[in-house]
Amino acid sequence: MQANKHLLLWSSLFTLALLAIAAAQENVFKDWRELQGSTVGPAGPLDVHLRQVVVPTLHAADRCVTCHVGMAAGEPSVAGHPTLKPHPPVGHDPNTMGCTACHGGQGRATEKDDAHGRVEFWPEPMIPARYADAGCGGCHTHLAVPALAELDRGLAAFERNDCLACHKLDGRGGTLRPLGAGGMEGPDLSFVGARGIQGDWYEKHVALRAQASDGPWTSSFGPIADDERAAIETYLRSRVGAPKLVQAKATFNSLGCRGCHKLAGVGGDDGPDLTLIGARDPGRIDFTSVKGEHDLAHWLAEHFRSPASIVPMSQMPMLGLTEPQIDLLVRYMLSLRRTNAPEAWCPKDRVRAERLGEREFGGDGATLYGSFCAACHGPSGEGMRYPGMTAFPAIGNADFLAVASDEFITRTITHGRPGRRMAAWGEKDGGLRASEIAAVVAHLRKLGGVAHERDARPARWIQRETISGAALYAKDCAQCHGKDGEGHEGPALASPALLRAATDTYLYETIRRGRRGTTMLGFAQPSTVRPALSDDEIESIVAYLRTWEK
Amino acid sequence: MVATKPPPEKKPAIRRFLENLRTTPKQVRDTALRGGKPNTDRTRSTFVFGNVFLHLHPVRTHRWSLKWATTWGLGIASFAAFLITLITGVLLMFYYKPHVEVAYDSIKDIAFVVPTGNFIRNIHRWAANLMVVTVILHMARAFYTAAYRAPREFNWLIGMALLVLTLGLSFTGYLLPWDQLAYWAITIGANIAQSPREVTDALGMTDAFDPGGLQKLLLLGSDTVGEEALIRFYLLHVMILPLALVGVLSVHFWRIRKDGGLVRPKDADQRLGPVAAADYPVFTEAPKKTYQLAAVVRGKSGAVGRGPENTVPSMPHLFYAELAVTMLTIALCVGLAMLSDAPLKELANPQVPENPAKAPWYFLGLQELVAYSAFMGGVGIPAIVLLGLGLIPYLDREKEGTGEWFGGPGGKRLVLQAACVGFASAIAIEWFSIKNGWLREWFPNIKQLWITAVNPGTVLTAIYALYSLWLVKKYDSTRSGALGLFTCFLCGFVVLTVVGTYFRGPNWDFYWSPADWPVH
Repeated sequence: MQANKHLLLWSSLFTLALLAIAAAQENVFKDWRELQGSTVGPAGPLDVHLRQVVVPTLHAADRCVTCHVGMAAGEPSVAGHPTLKPHPPVGHDPNTMGCTACHGGQGRATEKDDAHGRVEFWPEPMIPARYADAGCGGCHTHLAVPALAELDRGLAAFERNDCLACHKLDGRGGTLRPLGAGGMEGPDLSFVGARGIQGDWYEKHVALRAQASDGPWTSSFGPIADDERAAIETYLRSRVGAPKLVQAKATFNSLGCRGCHKLAGVGGDDGPDLTLIGARDPGRIDFTSVKGEHDLAHWLAEHFRSPASIVPMSQMPMLGLTEPQIDLLVRYMLSLRRTNAPEAWCPKDRVRAERLGEREFGGDGATLYGSFCAACHGPSGEGMRYPGMTAFPAIGNADFLAVASDEFITRTITHGRPGRRMAAWGEKDGGLRASEIAAVVAHLRKLGGVAHERDARPARWIQRETISGAALYAKDCAQCHGKDGEGHEGPALASPALLRAATDTYLYETIRRGRRGTTMLGFAQPSTVRPALSDDEIESIVAYLRTWEK
Repeated sequence: MVATKPPPEKKPAIRRFLENLRTTPKQVRDTALRGGKPNTDRTRSTFVFGNVFLHLHPVRTHRWSLKWATTWGLGIASFAAFLITLITGVLLMFYYKPHVEVAYDSIKDIAFVVPTGNFIRNIHRWAANLMVVTVILHMARAFYTAAYRAPREFNWLIGMALLVLTLGLSFTGYLLPWDQLAYWAITIGANIAQSPREVTDALGMTDAFDPGGLQKLLLLGSDTVGEEALIRFYLLHVMILPLALVGVLSVHFWRIRKDGGLVRPKDADQRLGPVAAADYPVFTEAPKKTYQLAAVVRGKSGAVGRGPENTVPSMPHLFYAELAVTMLTIALCVGLAMLSDAPLKELANPQVPENPAKAPWYFLGLQELVAYSAFMGGVGIPAIVLLGLGLIPYLDREKEGTGEWFGGPGGKRLVLQAACVGFASAIAIEWFSIKNGWLREWFPNIKQLWITAVNPGTVLTAIYALYSLWLVKKYDSTRSGALGLFTCFLCGFVVLTVVGTYFRGPNWDFYWSPADWPVH
């Protein structure tokens, strides 16, 4: 009995000791205690206690400031200090918004890995610091962002016209004072898009220039051409903060992603909806072939490099993106998320986009074309060929634009090509508005630089028998367009939608002239393998094509 | 008016009040213990039978039962592990939410946010695993000391029920975190439950009679693991099975006492020798009354007119031992909980099967067999094993070796030999089927019934059975056969479980180490 008594005593003491150790681990030996204890601020050692930012409306109790002490309200901050460095200046005070609303991660945790969501299978890890501005996307969305080329054009005009001499923009410029030393600083334009641009800014500048006799007004300001002014205005309208994210969104708006992907209800239906792609749970992502760290950013980057090797059977073609482009796209994808903030916190840009139907992409033809068309039809309408897919038509081709009327193009965009990838953009859910389609058509005209050659003949002027046409089709056309016009290398011709919209002239001229720069050669000229076709022969082919119209 | 005389020498009321107040703690203790301080044999006895929780114990315990080598405390350790899971489980219930939308998040909260939540969850998980281990070891102890023999046959069956309940508790708890590990382990479990369909399909009678489908439906409440399954498993885990276990456990304890305490060899008294005088307070107080219990108690007549049996008062001798084992179990669980975290993988995703999807470790031996054919591995062989275990006490009616470790003809030598046979044949059949495949690889067009019936497990069972029959003949003893068979199955269980746990990778292929798994 004595032995058991001792065993009980010692095992109890041992258990108590274990529990004491566990309690100490849980309460005393915390990294943050050590961190705070070893930090000496400007006013002496830090008071060691748990710090947190509590924002009840956002359901946030963010203890990040327990380690990032310098970012807490009323705490000493020392620039560059690992613990005491202040939060970089941002539009929102971290002490009223909390940390996780923008950065993600787990606010209540007090261990570094837990808090940063770097633990295995954590569903909402922190947004990597290098993409921190993607966190803005949790609440905000940038409206009317132009395509990247437009944005670059605006910035180039802004720089070329020496606006940076007096104005600060995204941390650059503003070195000169308009009225010499001691004069007033030119306004910082970094957020001018959010505040609104005065309609008469140019006239005011010209008037002020007229009054000045020396200084930057004379050395830096000169007349600005109308189109440059428009480009500058477009650019300035996009200055609403997070410039890198705007650039990322502009990249997205240039690569035709919306042709296949829906985003906030606008876009195609062929690819997955991207509305919340940035909030994807890494635990639900297949990282099988992803090199490097297994987080969403790496997955996205690898996926952009080669979609099908990350997602088996993916329909998305390899787009041949450059590394900077991929980096920008990853940034934008990560910004596609939503916080669980209450309705009342919804910022006005989001309200305008979601409730008032304002577009997140610019309304100009170039941006619309970049957002919706560029992936398939090429950035400048040269058509695209992706392995395993039928070729996409070169709609910026001069030969096409010469024979295709605006009405024909509008009709094609509006009603699409049933049975082919081209969606009915004017009819489908999440498609384009009539004014937007018109802008795209105008942009196409600009791409080719060719006007439609009007033709006085009626839409259906060819009256021919179809037997010789059928024979000619089988000999000269079927190889590319398919035996029954089902399309193969060339587009499908047995498409009632196409044949209804196309005039005889359109078909006739297309066969006769071909499309230079594509595999469709003009049949009016002989090639190395076949003689030229006569006008009669071409007409009979058109008559044969018409038999598929039903 | 009659003048009443005050009672003589009555203290003033205020003095009496203060006196009462002073003696209240003693009064409380005396009334709580009913018999007063347990410092004499009689008060020690009342301490035990006057207490609702202790009176399942005998008031006096045989000295043999208190030897560590008699039981190694395995039964009490199992009970202690159960108590630990009970307490930590109730604590976890404060935060756990049994709904597929939030179950995983609530476990994440427990793991990352709730103060000491992760610690409590770790203890719960370790205690649950420990309980499975100690229950199996406790059963092995009872078997090897032939404790199942008369009059304890039925308590052996109750013990088997407790084994099944323990596995059931552990298995139902496995689903609750609602992560990938849980989801696919339970999916496998449910498919094993459905495996009788393999037979009914082969016989073409599934449409008319589908016990497999019914089992799965009863388990999951649906075709797939979902909300219905979660709520079922939760209810089973936190209410039905624990209540059932407490009920059956009470009977188990009560039967120990009613069946005459723990098993001991016939000559236990001689072997123990005389008792040290100091250790043995014998009837320090004359009994006021004696009863003739012969009419009530089976066996020899009550101890009247002769020296006391080789027993000591349970209070404190037995209770110190029990508390020590309990405390050691707690220490073990707490220590393990501090060393290793309970797993939590990503949120359950019915679209992405785990590969390999593994059942809880104690079912991996079965899964190893299920890989060849679900019915034989998951239902057939376990049923045979349970049936065999249940029959042991009724087939072995011998007397030799009761209460001795490895008692019976053959003894320790036989058990060692059986262990060799058990390990060797299990490893051999694993090696053979891993290297050469099994029926389907050899005869691609073979009938399903053959696949179902002839599983490596079937072959192994047959080998064990033949070996055991040979032992019965050789030693002319059922006990010898049982010793061999039990040892073989224990070894087979270990081999299959180890292979299933450590050497099976994606698609249930064999790998020496997870490092060799194909990069996925």
